[in-house]
Amino acid sequence: MTIPSSSRFSQLRHPLHRIAGGLGALLVLALGAACGSDDTSTEPIVTANCPAASGASSGNAMTVLGCGNFKPTRTTGEIFVRGSTAYTTTWGNPSAAASVFYIWDVAGNTPTLVDSVKVDNATTLGDIAVSDDGAYLVVATERTPGAIVIYSLSNPRQPQLVSRFSNAETNAGVHTAEIGRVNGKLYGFLSIDPLGATQAKLVIVDLSNPASPQQVFSQTIGSPYVHDTFVRDGILFLALWNAGVAIWDIGGGGKGGTPAAPVEMGRVQTANGEVHNIWWFKDPSSGSAKYAFIGEEGPGNIGVSALGDIHVVDVSNMAAPREVAFYTVPGAGTHNFSMDEPNGILYAAYYNGGVRALDVRGDLGSCPDAQKSTPRNQTLPLCDLSKMGRELKVGLKDRAEPVYIWGVQFLNGSVYASDMLNGIWKLRAVSR
Amino acid sequence: MRPTSSPTIATAIATAIAMLVIAPTFAWAQHEGHEGMTSDSVTRATRWHLMAQAIPVVTHARNTAEGADLTEGYLSQAAAMAGGDLLSGHLRLQGTLNAEGLTMERGELSTGAFGEGYVDRRHPHTYLHEMVATGLGAAGPLAYSISAGRGFAAFGTDDPMMRPFEKYPINHHLSQILERAMITGAIRFGPAIVDASTFGGDEPTSPGSAPLMRRLGDSWSVRATALPLPGVELQGSYARVASPEQRAGFGLDQRKRNVSARLISADGGRYLLAEWARTVDRDHGRNEDVFAYESALAEGSATVRGVSLALRLEQTERPEEERLADPFRVPRPASDLGISGVTRWRTATVALMMPSPISGPIPGYPFIEVERTSPRARDARSVFDAQSFYRTGSPWMVTAGLRLRFGPLHARMGRYGVAVPDGPPIRALGIPGGDSSSHHHH
Repeated sequence: MTIPSSSRFSQLRHPLHRIAGGLGALLVLALGAACGSDDTSTEPIVTANCPAASGASSGNAMTVLGCGNFKPTRTTGEIFVRGSTAYTTTWGNPSAAASVFYIWDVAGNTPTLVDSVKVDNATTLGDIAVSDDGAYLVVATERTPGAIVIYSLSNPRQPQLVSRFSNAETNAGVHTAEIGRVNGKLYGFLSIDPLGATQAKLVIVDLSNPASPQQVFSQTIGSPYVHDTFVRDGILFLALWNAGVAIWDIGGGGKGGTPAAPVEMGRVQTANGEVHNIWWFKDPSSGSAKYAFIGEEGPGNIGVSALGDIHVVDVSNMAAPREVAFYTVPGAGTHNFSMDEPNGILYAAYYNGGVRALDVRGDLGSCPDAQKSTPRNQTLPLCDLSKMGRELKVGLKDRAEPVYIWGVQFLNGSVYASDMLNGIWKLRAVSR
Repeated sequence: MRPTSSPTIATAIATAIAMLVIAPTFAWAQHEGHEGMTSDSVTRATRWHLMAQAIPVVTHARNTAEGADLTEGYLSQAAAMAGGDLLSGHLRLQGTLNAEGLTMERGELSTGAFGEGYVDRRHPHTYLHEMVATGLGAAGPLAYSISAGRGFAAFGTDDPMMRPFEKYPINHHLSQILERAMITGAIRFGPAIVDASTFGGDEPTSPGSAPLMRRLGDSWSVRATALPLPGVELQGSYARVASPEQRAGFGLDQRKRNVSARLISADGGRYLLAEWARTVDRDHGRNEDVFAYESALAEGSATVRGVSLALRLEQTERPEEERLADPFRVPRPASDLGISGVTRWRTATVALMMPSPISGPIPGYPFIEVERTSPRARDARSVFDAQSFYRTGSPWMVTAGLRLRFGPLHARMGRYGVAVPDGPPIRALGIPGGDSSSHHHH
């Protein structure tokens, strides 16, 4: 369903200067925000110090460059950065308040709030992404009616509504929406929530005409759901929770698959299931595409605790992928990934564990017994990236207040993190 | 303030009238139902009983979900309970039909309540609330029974429907396991009772849902009860429930504990209950405990000349989840295994019930309840902030209604066969004065 572009967006507000050091003065300003509606209600701005360093940082702490000049009262969700503009979503919004995503200027060390955009008929915006050409922004909405909302980024700081795609297949809620190009055409890969007796499904949408997205594929999949996808070079990886990881040819796997008719190439069950997200690493320095990193999302109490490891899967034979290594942080759990592929560094959002930077270059599946551990509740020992000395740095665990990192993105020497409790952070990327 | 829903009230009242009109047309002998069976009672003649009830009720909730002030009315606890003995008392059939799926489909306003995808509302019970067949026998002083059907697992305390308050306690899903496909065995030797159940862990997903039979046996529970003195009951129980909140079986399992002490006077005019419960959520895939919730509750009632006063104090921890556009609902099934916090609720509820001004076969006992709550985050780091969400630190409710009933009041709910201790019903639920049909086993 296509909705034409409509009303103007919010007005730019002057960012407030953050008060440094231990002073915690709060100032509240109104921020006008309107998107696709005539709602001119204002969004409260609260400025406060970022949670300062606790003074107990370890030697391997990532350098914090700054946090947002605006601390949302809403709970922050996902992040996507392109150029000097970052977009962060919100989670669990009250029913009457609609949902919002924020737009930040991240050129400097302190991400500065530029604007916010309201998205109606959504309590959570669980995913946000910009197309590879920078032309479009895609936002996933939950719960019913689930949709993807597509904006034009002709002005990246003023997204213009292009369309909202929702149908009976997406109605239960779009949990994640990855976008990627296959044989030159832009597609959206939507992981749809279960609802009542309706099972979760994957929906693939042709976005070549963003004003009129077209569904090309739908399949019930996952045990009990498909949580996320990763698309690259015509290969689609699916995070199928307790059903593990599936690898599909959608145009690049040599099996004749297409986005409209995928062909499964292989599957793997990683330790303890709960497969949440995936990153398939292609090392430009070596050409290796051997490893996919799998995030496991165990039960968590937002703001307090999390569980879940990173699993390393050897996909050199996609018909028979196998888990070869893992990484665990006691008392914390991983969420989403980003990579500095030229340097072979994986950045993992780790909820209450902050941000983890791991050296993932080279052979991850061969190690002496002293560097092996057995994942919880398993019997087979695997290479343990911690014991292998692969953990380079830890971010945001040196703060005086808790963090709960949902998403990360590496870009141009910086790492941006979305923190459910505090908003947005900017850190210095790790160098070798 | 939301106006009361007239169409819903009209439907509810019509349903109640239909249930209460139909019931007396059955020429069944009245019988004070669901007492415990002693060894000599197996020779009783065949007897059947029927009880039907409904509670038209209006609740005003101040600062309920998202800080709203709401006033709602509906027909609560609209149910018909029937049962009887066959084969000289060796076979007992009992069932409870519940109409709440029709009379309060959106759930009953009850700030703090949670369970089966509802929050700050009590979920409607299933249409087929109970349907149990029980075989009973005895070998000398040892009495035994085996029950099968849909009903309560052998765990915890009585269902709040047979306790002195219209509003259920927040700990309902910590202290009872209900509406399950189950097989329950019980033995009784003098003052000692042990009952145990194997059952399907899956909670109902709607009033019309049936248990998934393939899950029968994936959960179990055991309860021990001591009756040291007449009217005194000590209970302890343990349960392992597989994935109750996720029907497909992928959800967190629960390990549950409950201990209680119950006292009731010979005429049911004085009643006390104290209980402690703890539920631990366990990730069976990781073989790891992840969340835990505790509850402590004390309640009591006193009835003098038909006027009853009851008091309940409760502290219960409730998991918080992402809410839907309807702030009284959470996703079912959920899309992950996370929670957004644990809120510790402290509540105080006072209830006053008056004698029935209605004479005849369908008395109605007017009552009023006032409940004040105090929710606080158990861990300040949690993203769910109760005081912000409810716009106050002390939400409260007032409820007024009329307990309508045809037939004798049931004494207990949540036990079967020889596991049902003898004793009177709680008079605070309304018993006509000088009711000669009441009889108590000693």
